[in-house]
Amino acid sequence: MRKKFESFLTSKYILIGLTVICLFFIGTSFFTDSLTKPLQTAVSYVVVPLQKGMNNLGLWVSDKLDNLQEISDVLEKNEELQSQVDALTEENNLLKQETYELDRLRELYELDNQYSQYSKVGANVIGISSDNWYSSLTIDKGSDDGIQVDMNVVASGGLVGIVTEVGSNYAIVKTIVEDNSYVSGMIIDTNETCIVQGDVELMDSGMVHLGYFASDVTVNDGDKIVTSNVSDKYLQGILIGYATNVTADSNNLTQSGYLIPAVDFNNLQEVLVITDLKTTTD
Amino acid sequence: MKRKVCELVLIVIFYLLQVSVGRVIAVANIVPNFLIILPIIFGFLKGRNEGMFVGFFAGVMYDLYFSSLFGFTALCFVYIGYYAGFFYEKYEKYEILIPMAMVLVFDFVYEFLCYIGNFLLHNRLNAGFFISRIIIPEVVYTCLCTLILYKLLAYINDKLDTVKTKKRGVNFDEGSI
Repeated sequence: MRKKFESFLTSKYILIGLTVICLFFIGTSFFTDSLTKPLQTAVSYVVVPLQKGMNNLGLWVSDKLDNLQEISDVLEKNEELQSQVDALTEENNLLKQETYELDRLRELYELDNQYSQYSKVGANVIGISSDNWYSSLTIDKGSDDGIQVDMNVVASGGLVGIVTEVGSNYAIVKTIVEDNSYVSGMIIDTNETCIVQGDVELMDSGMVHLGYFASDVTVNDGDKIVTSNVSDKYLQGILIGYATNVTADSNNLTQSGYLIPAVDFNNLQEVLVITDLKTTTD
Repeated sequence: MKRKVCELVLIVIFYLLQVSVGRVIAVANIVPNFLIILPIIFGFLKGRNEGMFVGFFAGVMYDLYFSSLFGFTALCFVYIGYYAGFFYEKYEKYEILIPMAMVLVFDFVYEFLCYIGNFLLHNRLNAGFFISRIIIPEVVYTCLCTLILYKLLAYINDKLDTVKTKKRGVNFDEGSI
């Protein structure tokens, strides 16, 4: 009986102690991240190499799975020509993979030419946000490779997001489709400014909000939206996406609609980090 | 000591499952919440103190890189581990429905708290969408993962226990000879 009472008491005290510690952490995280920074650095030395390994393993497995799936499809369709088709698909798969990679690299290269005035570092995406509310990415390059906070991140023709946190061997990228992300944009040919705002409620459609156009601006579906010259963090002229469904708001002062991002956020494997920072006057 | 180290390793593995493998196994962009399984199962199998210990470190891992409010998840997971510990030794270990029911309830409560903090307070009142599109799928997916992982975790837990008793048994035998 006494033992039971004692064990209850101790676990209660532990609970109170841990609660106080957590509340202290929460309180300090409002003001500074100097408490979490050393912990993040220490943990990242263990976790990031593992994440890289997992990532490579995952890519390898999904490659193999794709192979198996495609082969079984062909088997069902052409049972009589099984052996012949098998050999051909195998070869075909290899070629397909190579062309896929070629396409991807070509796209990256094109993008590289497109924004050639900026210097860039390539990086692999090795992780996603730990919850389902946000969709931040972890990349495998950090301050050791010259990455800094507020650097812009692009991929396959468009803007991915911005670096919000940097460790020595990793960086965290906040994507433009995330709920609390705001990017100042403009129409490429008329320089009319607008705000691109991520929204988790649009996650199924893959679109984001586009708003704050002046009421006298004509916006057509498919207009290219690029990062604006007035943004203080985003470099000018990076393609964000294409406007669609822009209509007047009920206040008759502004117009808003949707934007289809230029980047496919569902299978993002490689990104380019622009190592130039936008210099502001202040 | 060995138990604590093993639990920390498990936390790291589950964290990796969540952030790296999660990308591959996500269904409709929903990744199961692997880390919440740990405090519940260890609380259920080993008692309140163990649940709180695992919950604290799992929560810290969860918060470390992607949360603006460091410590919130740790706080939630500590309480989850504590309350899961109330069911310690109340049920047989093969009663898999008890931990699953706990995952169902605790994950829902935790995610709903997240919704309140992140969205409701920012005037995002469309609770129906958030519950039906994000919270419920995640809860169900996490429950299914619990079903798969429970046996493995129970086995690891037993292994960590038997190591101790075996040693004691050997000593006892030597004494009697």
